[in-house]
Amino acid sequence: MKNSRIIRTLAQKLLPFIFLFGFYLTFHGHLSPGGGFQGGVVIATAIILLTLSYGIKETENRFKEKHLSVLEKLAILAFIFLGLLGIFFGYPFLKNFLPLGQRGCIASAGLMIPLNLVISIKVAAGMTGIFYALVKYRGEI
Amino acid sequence: MKKYYYIVLLIIMTILIIGSISPEYGNPRNMDYINYYLEHGVQDTGAINLVASIYLDYRAYDTLIETVVLFMAVIGVTFILSKGK
Repeated sequence: MKNSRIIRTLAQKLLPFIFLFGFYLTFHGHLSPGGGFQGGVVIATAIILLTLSYGIKETENRFKEKHLSVLEKLAILAFIFLGLLGIFFGYPFLKNFLPLGQRGCIASAGLMIPLNLVISIKVAAGMTGIFYALVKYRGEI
Repeated sequence: MKKYYYIVLLIIMTILIIGSISPEYGNPRNMDYINYYLEHGVQDTGAINLVASIYLDYRAYDTLIETVVLFMAVIGVTFILSKGK
């Protein structure tokens, strides 16, 4: 099933801006309200919008479910690896081992940016996976 | 035998719950750790956003388990929905 051409074109044009907003929320998580979970959900809504306007088959050609599930598992492993990396430098598990930097800059607060990025990738892949499962097995889009 | 086991378990649980209730819970004198976060949070973690400094630095282990919980939710949804077909 396909929607009208206006909806499809608008969804296609809006997609990069929604991605941009999601990554903005993710990378400014230690400076302003937001963070990994919220940014991940915003990124997932972009793919959900694409699914609602184009249908599940054309969306799966771009964002395959296999790749998303692999990405999700890799993100959890990366989180645990980042925690274990502190042990090699002589700190406790998940302790910040990078330099803190200047307060208020984006490149500050050490380990928070990688952790936020990993969380946002994981949440985006997970939410999209749930939506794909709902559409594939119970829906008619 | 099983009955006595549950009765003993209930008694232990009630003792623990009664022991953990403190009548001075809302007293501002007992909020030392909240004041610690407010005073030392920016110096310790380098993040301006205090919420991020708590959930990614002081309580990072909690965040790790939270992501694992979401992972389990995704696995459960896909497993239950794909079972019908």
